[in-house]
Amino acid sequence: MAVEGTLRPGGGAAQLALNMKLIAHHELAGFGGVGEGINMQKTRDGRRILWMAHESAPKNFTGVDVTDPRNPKLIVQTDLPHNDVRSNSLDVVGDIMAVAYQTKKWGLKPAGMDLFDISKPEQPKLISHFDTSGPHSRGAHCVFFVDGEYVHLTSGSPDFEPTHEKDDQFYRIIDVRNPSKPTEVGRWWYPGTRKGDSAPPPPRHPKFDGGYRPHNTNVYPQKPNRAYVGYIDGGAWILDISDKSKPKPVGHLQYSPPYNGFTHTVLPLIERGYLVISDECVRDNGEDWPKLTWVVDARVESNLVPVATLPLPSADAFIKRGGRYGSHNLHENLPGPCSFRSETLIFGTFFNGGVRAYDLTNPLQPKEVGYFVPAAPKLAPKGSAQINDVWVDENRLVYAVDRFGGGLYTLETSF
Amino acid sequence: MTVTQASPGTTRDALAGLIPVSIITGFLGSGKTTLVNRLLKRPEMNRVAVIVNELGEIGIDNELVQVSSEQMMLLNNGCLCCVLRGDLQETLRDLFIKRRNGEIIDFDRVVIETTGLADPAPVMQTLLTDALLLDQYRLDCVVTLVDSVNAPGQLKQFTEPVKQVALADRLVITKSDLIGEKQLAALEQRLKEINPRAPAKVALNGEIDPAFLVDVGLRRTNARLEEVERWLGTDEGHGDGHSHAHRHDEAVQTFVLRFEKPMSWTVFTQCMDVLTALRGPDLLRVKGLVSVEGKSGPMVVQGVQHLFHPPLELAAWPSPDHGTRLVFITRDISRQTVADLFAAIGAMTAGKAA
Repeated sequence: MAVEGTLRPGGGAAQLALNMKLIAHHELAGFGGVGEGINMQKTRDGRRILWMAHESAPKNFTGVDVTDPRNPKLIVQTDLPHNDVRSNSLDVVGDIMAVAYQTKKWGLKPAGMDLFDISKPEQPKLISHFDTSGPHSRGAHCVFFVDGEYVHLTSGSPDFEPTHEKDDQFYRIIDVRNPSKPTEVGRWWYPGTRKGDSAPPPPRHPKFDGGYRPHNTNVYPQKPNRAYVGYIDGGAWILDISDKSKPKPVGHLQYSPPYNGFTHTVLPLIERGYLVISDECVRDNGEDWPKLTWVVDARVESNLVPVATLPLPSADAFIKRGGRYGSHNLHENLPGPCSFRSETLIFGTFFNGGVRAYDLTNPLQPKEVGYFVPAAPKLAPKGSAQINDVWVDENRLVYAVDRFGGGLYTLETSF
Repeated sequence: MTVTQASPGTTRDALAGLIPVSIITGFLGSGKTTLVNRLLKRPEMNRVAVIVNELGEIGIDNELVQVSSEQMMLLNNGCLCCVLRGDLQETLRDLFIKRRNGEIIDFDRVVIETTGLADPAPVMQTLLTDALLLDQYRLDCVVTLVDSVNAPGQLKQFTEPVKQVALADRLVITKSDLIGEKQLAALEQRLKEINPRAPAKVALNGEIDPAFLVDVGLRRTNARLEEVERWLGTDEGHGDGHSHAHRHDEAVQTFVLRFEKPMSWTVFTQCMDVLTALRGPDLLRVKGLVSVEGKSGPMVVQGVQHLFHPPLELAAWPSPDHGTRLVFITRDISRQTVADLFAAIGAMTAGKAA
């Protein structure tokens, strides 16, 4: 059936929705660019505070009271010390929040991680700063902190000289049982990425050299002896961390090239023995398409087999909307009192493809069951929404954030 | 820190996210287009995709048309109208893909207006059995319009109008201003004889409360009692199949079978297999809840002639009544025949098990 033009009011940048209904939108006081750290705190007085790390300076992080999800209230927004640092990632356990700091160039400060006491959410109090700056370090890109004891950190270190400047971050396990004195207890890096390694440096991706660094380093209390690591151009790794001082690889999946690299999140469906692995789209206008989210059979950890990808709407249609279009973050089934956890329902973000939900009851045939693509936010630099990250609460309310100016979208699901 | 396991709230409801489809049928001149035009003017019906058979025939009000292309047009109330020239399956798939790509409106309902001569069964079967469509759409309601001036004659003369009435979830009587009260009462009685479980309402110039026509099908697997009753049409007194002994036309029959004890799924499917194999064309419509051994909720079954929707399990029984109830609309298949079949296959299977 041939149709000329778009048969919808508002044209190509209009909102699209299926089974997700917008119930609130907050522009975060004009600083609506959020990175990929979202987590919810349940305060001692029963409030629900959504914490978000910003995509870039000048803002560090923002706390929004979403106790009444239809009426979100901004309660705190903090600043970074200068414009060459970004926070990007945070996690919350109880009243402690870990925030990552990554600098634009090697050798700058502050680089590393802060721990905050957020028992009074309006007044976050710094407990300690874990400095990972160094001549070859840009600090930390991502924190994973869910058990109150260890932070699984993607970071450089003053003692780490990479074989390629892009490979400066690696997996570090930081003991924060004494939050005023974080201490490294173990580390792992892709063989060949550190000067002095016996292995040769790994080959660069022929088309898009994203680097060999971990992105997400996920460890779950149900399976505390495993770390699930997306290693950007190094693929997906499962590490045995039963001895935290000596992480050992037990599974590896490398599918780029021929694909375009930037493995981002490795989300395990622990009961079922599957992984959901997202790549990150890092180029505008479809330049690095396809950036997919893979369903991987991990029932035998040493033999990871991709069995499906999450179905996405036509790249031709979405690339035209502007900015990036492709996979990025997933809702990560985090522990914690307010987090949604499911072995079959998966939520992901796809930049101008919005936030999308999938039913993986049949892992060989994932079904898309809902989506929300906001209309282009005011003054959107790419001319479209660029949904960056998602967090889902235990009532299945979806919190999705824009990378540039759109802020926070709260959505109700009906599937 | 304890981690909760996936619970029902963390899985998808197999029905809740599907886009409802209404089928509007009725003999030539019964007022389908008038009804659709009226419905589209209601504020709550502002995100509908209408599929009609022929542009020439539809006569969607000119004032509603905003943008037109060869086969799709946007109506100025926000709805979408497209013309069915080829295959209904293809059109429904295409609509969903275009919706997803942002090329057309985010419609939240589809209305299919069939041609007057059409047998609605194949349209219903398309929705019940196409694997791609089953993921996106659900049959909500078959609305049959009955022209009160011509229907009495048409129901005697032709088989299509009888089948249209028999398959309906809702009956809408039109043009009643042109006949007397007695004739209207006679027509209502005739419709009740053909399809006692479908509520009937009179509409003048297409004016009818949309609530009568929407949310008839099951919308979620944790359906409440009133939702199940609305779907099965159990809220009136003519459903037991015994009150129509006086009927002069026994061709179309509606009856309910009840079984108090849970049955094995094998027994149920074998009965249905035998019925569809031998009498498929005469098994106009079957819908109901089946109490299956070992299942906590009832299985929802619905079929049109020889094709059945994949069975779905409801999260729980909607009331203390846990008996199997199956509504049959048949042509010349009696209640006794079907009851005997269930008894025979039940006995055979029980014998095997022993």
